[in-house]
Formats: sequence, C-alpha cells, structure tokens
Amino acid sequence: MNVIQKALKEGRTALSEYESKQVLAAYQIPVTREILVDDVKDLTAATQEIGYPVVLKACSSEIAHKTEKGLIRVDIRNDKEARAAFEEIMSKIEGAGHGVLVQEMVKGKRELVIGLTRDVQFGPCVMFGLGGIFTEILKDISFRIAPIEKRDALEMMHDIKGYKILEDVRGMEAVDLDMLADILINVGQIGLENEKVKEIDINPVIISGNKPVAVDALIVLE
Amino acid sequence: MRQFFYPSSIAVFGVADNPKNLAKNIVFNCQDMEFSGEIYPVGRVPGKVYGRNIITSPESLPKGIDLAVILVPARFVADTLEICGRKGIRNAIISTGGFGEFKEKDNQAEMDVLYAAKRHGIRFIGPNSIGVICTGSGVCTPFNPMQPKRFKKGNIGLIAQSGGVTTQTAYYFSEEHVGFSKIISAGNKLNLDEIDFLEYLMGDDETEQIHMYLESIEDGRRFFDLARASKKPIVIYKSNVTKTASEIAKSHTAALSNESLIVDGAMRQAGIVSVKDIHDMTVCAKALQLPPLKGNRLAVISLSGGFAVILGDACEKHGFICPQLPRKLLDKIEGFRRGGVIRMSNPMDFGDVHEIEALVFTLKHCLALDYIDGLVLSFMYEPEMARMFGGEIGSPQQMLKFTRNMCEGTGKPIALSFFAERPCIEEFKRINTFPVFNNPVESVRALRMLRDYWRGREIRGEVIN
Repeated sequence: MNVIQKALKEGRTALSEYESKQVLAAYQIPVTREILVDDVKDLTAATQEIGYPVVLKACSSEIAHKTEKGLIRVDIRNDKEARAAFEEIMSKIEGAGHGVLVQEMVKGKRELVIGLTRDVQFGPCVMFGLGGIFTEILKDISFRIAPIEKRDALEMMHDIKGYKILEDVRGMEAVDLDMLADILINVGQIGLENEKVKEIDINPVIISGNKPVAVDALIVLE
Repeated sequence: MRQFFYPSSIAVFGVADNPKNLAKNIVFNCQDMEFSGEIYPVGRVPGKVYGRNIITSPESLPKGIDLAVILVPARFVADTLEICGRKGIRNAIISTGGFGEFKEKDNQAEMDVLYAAKRHGIRFIGPNSIGVICTGSGVCTPFNPMQPKRFKKGNIGLIAQSGGVTTQTAYYFSEEHVGFSKIISAGNKLNLDEIDFLEYLMGDDETEQIHMYLESIEDGRRFFDLARASKKPIVIYKSNVTKTASEIAKSHTAALSNESLIVDGAMRQAGIVSVKDIHDMTVCAKALQLPPLKGNRLAVISLSGGFAVILGDACEKHGFICPQLPRKLLDKIEGFRRGGVIRMSNPMDFGDVHEIEALVFTLKHCLALDYIDGLVLSFMYEPEMARMFGGEIGSPQQMLKFTRNMCEGTGKPIALSFFAERPCIEEFKRINTFPVFNNPVESVRALRMLRDYWRGREIRGEVIN
C-alpha cells in the first residue's frame, strides 16, 4: 500500500485518519466521505462537495484523542461556522498538523469498535466490541485470530455482552450483520497482508440506519 | 512417541537404596501399576530396590531398552544421555529440575543436554517433568510416592505442564470415576512440547478426549491450527492469564488485548472447550460422553420444586432457554399426579408424580419434541423411594441403564443429577455406566460445555448429524 510505504519512508509510526481510511477503503470497508483541506480557500468547495451538516477534524498522524483536545467540531451547518471552526482547529495544530478533514456527519446512536492487534503468539488478531466512550469503560470486547471466516465473525459479535445492540432495539433497525462480518474479515486481511501494520483502531464504527460506517480510524505501524 | 507409553523395558537413572532417594519411587510406581516389561534401576552405589539389583555400571545394561527415566543431578544429565545414546535408548524422560526454570539465560546444563540429545537422536520429555502415566501399560514415571492402583483406566488423554497438577489430576479424575488413558507432564518443554503431545493423542486409539492444563503455549499459531483440525474434543484449563497488555500500546485495541482474551477467542475459534479448574475438567469429561447437544433449548425435570427454580436460574445463566411445552402434553403429565396440587410447566416440578410410567412418558415425549435439544433430570434418590417407583428405576443400576437407554434411543443428552445423601450419589458415580453430575447446577454447567463443544464443531464448518 502506497500510504503505508510513504509513511514508513518518512519515518512515521502511524497513519493519519485520512490515510488510515484510504487503507480501509482499499479493503472494501465503508468509511465516511471526506476531503482533506489545508488551505482555507479550498474549504467552501469541500463543504459543498460533502454537503452540510459536516464535521471538521484535525488530521495528523501525531494526534490521538482529538475530542479531549477540542480538535473536532460536529454538526457544522453553514459556511460561516465552517470557516470559524477551520481557523480555530488550524491554530491549535500549528506545526504538527497536516490539515483539516471535512467529513460527512454520520448519524447513528450505536457505536462499535473494530480493531486489530499483533499478538506475539498468534499474529494478527481482530477485535470487536462496543465503541465510542464505552470501549474503555465497559471493555465489552472479543478477539479472534486472523484469518477469520464468516462464522467466526458472527460468533465474535455474539460473544459480547452488548450483543443485543445489534438487533432491532428501540425503533432502530437490526444491523446488517453480513456487512459487519465482512468488515471484520477484511480487517484481519489487512493484518495478514501488511506486515508493517501493527495495530488498527476503527472507533467509532457508527451504525447509520442499518449499515456500519468507519467514522474514525487509526493505523499504527512498526 | 508410542515407546514413551509402551516401552518394552525401562532404565531408571539415579536410583539408590536409601529412604530419601526419589528415583526408586519410579521403580515402585511402575511395578505397582503392573508394568509388565523389565525395569532396570541404575545408580552409583550397589544395592537392591523393590527386589531389583541396582546396576552400577550402565555400560552393562542390555540393548533394546526403549525408555530412560533420568533423575540425577542437573550437571550429570547430559552424561546420562550420552550413556543412553551409546546403549541405543532413543526416548528419555528427564525428571531433574534446576534447568531453565531456575536460571533462565545462558543455561549451560540445558545446552549440554540439548547437544547430547541431538547427537544421539534422543527425544525427551522435560526436564523438570514427572513424565507419563499410562493405564494401558502400567508405565508410571512420577518420582513422588503414589497410589497408582487407584488410577482408573479410561479414554481421557491429559497433558499438564506442572508435576503437581499432573499428580492431582490423576487422583481427581479417578475419584470422579473419569478414567484416563495417558497423562503426560510436559515440564520445561526443552524438546517435546504440547504440540507433539497433542498430535500424538489426536492419533491415539486409546484416547477419545484430550484435556490440557497449560501455563504457556510455545507456538500459539501452530497449536491453534492443530487443535482446529482435531476430530476429538479438546478441553483446556489455561492458567497464568494475567493481563499482559503492553503499556506502550498506541491503540485501544492493543491496550485492551491481553493473553486471556486472545487465547479465549482462539480457543473458541478452534472449537476448544475452556474450563476454569480441575474439577470442571471432570465435569466436561462426563458431559462429552453424552450425545451431541445441538441447540439451546432444554426441558428440565426436577423432583423438587426448589431445585426446579434453581435449575431455571442456572439455565438462564448459561444461556439456555426452557421453551413452553405443549399444553396437551402437560395435561397428560398432570394426569399422573397424585395430589393434583402442582401445575406442570418447564422447568417441571415432578414432586407430585411418583410413577415410573409418568417419568418414561414425560422423558420420551419431551425429547421427541423437535424444539427440545436436551434434558436436565434432577432426581431425588432414596433407596426406599426408588423401590416405590419400582420398575425400570428400582435400583441405581437400573436407574442409570434407564437414562442411558433414553439417551441412546433419542440421540439427545440427559444431564442427570441426584439430590440425595452423599453416599447414594457416590454409589451412582461408582457404577459409572452413565454420567452422573454432583449436583443439579453442575449438570446444567455440563450441558453448557457440551453445547459449546458442538457449537465449536459447527463453527469449524462440520455438519453434525
């Protein structure tokens, strides 16, 4: 993968969100529509292309935990708000940043996490669990060793205590489990086919309607 | 590998005729377990142990010895292997401790052992291993004093790392009337490791289930691939599962991963049943003797209303469903009641029914339902009461035969337990013609293990008939 090679050549140990999602997309994992903007004059074209409401996020391989640092602005509805948010974010990441991501705003109450880690014993292992702020608090997660088959993918979804969140609950549609299973299988493939990929976090994966979308992503390299 | 379990003869190195010598116990244990081959005690001082002369010049050992058991000080182990090599002995159990477990890095004694073994093409178990116990041949190489006569022969193959666990499991299994074919103590795994043992037991005709106690796995990937291909059930009690997540992990995924979670996932993926202690290994061993449990839906029958409630809780806890039974069937069962004071449902309180016909009728009809996958039967047992029931369940032998026939006839499992005086329960377990669990809740846990096993087979893509 080009983005991985490029990052390694630059001596980096992580991909930016934008780059990470390019890797995911190359493996048929649905990601948010987004445009990377580093000059304010390109902002309007980008917001028009994506369509309001949008999310603006600082994008850099150096920045994790964007929410805590005030580097994400959600539900931006017009050019004025967009410009203000852009300038504020840019001012905070001066020097370290690679730009601002203009991203479609994915609506959905259900947040999942999908990830990959490289175990000394077992090699690439795929993780599935509850996402967003619940990932660290509840640790409701399950692992499988890559490659995983469809049955494994379905089974690991069943493993978590919060499994019912995937069903038709409280007026929400049942999640497209086939699609979710494909994402899990493909994340495993990324690990198997790219030795330099050490860890992957896709958090959150938001369920929009009944379809999972990767809203934030981080790929760590070694 | 077979020669570790069925050697024609054994040489035991490190034997002395003094009360504190441990190697002589190896001679005793094999003899006591009626190993029929020749045993040659080898030591430095002439003497006699258990009627056998200690051989002081190992060069005088005859040719054709299949197995050496070595319990000499660590610094002499390599030399002993040299002797073995010269005498054509190609299999060894190294019981001596004080190798890698004592000094981890640059262990010269360890390197010497490996070199000697390699030079002579010797395969060895250990060091720091009490070796093997084989109920088929009577080979019993632990150096601790034991009661090998108590060991029950059966079809469980067991691999354990620690000697203490090996010994304890041998007793525990036997006390629970779960017989074993072979027990292997893996020790430091310097040469042969759990993968070699697993591979061997997978192809061993005397072994139908493979149980393992593991503290570490040497090559997780290979182990996992091998286990996944096993046609025999594999049951693992894994310890040493503390959190090992790296502190420098940059992602949530890496920070949240730990050996326990990943091993759990790997085991499920491979269709391995995971248990939490030695006792549950025996519960699982019994459960796996039952016909397949292909789903989650149980009929529960108890002779006590209280236990019916307890069983209902246990079923829910382990993810089982107790579906409503057809009203027509319940009406008929209610027709058998004596006082007519208990309404039938699922779990079913059989406290008001004291007829063997009623029990036969209920079991048959419940198991015949296509939405019932298995049955929990928790029986009150008292010899006097059994006589009251009479017929097919008048004695413990009959009771077990009756349940067994019911299982075989329907191809569905019955998890049987008794609430009775302990000697009564022991009596049932001793007869051992059908698995009896220690208490009602344990019987539900047993079905959970059985279900997990068959679900695992299904995940591996096997069609279960």
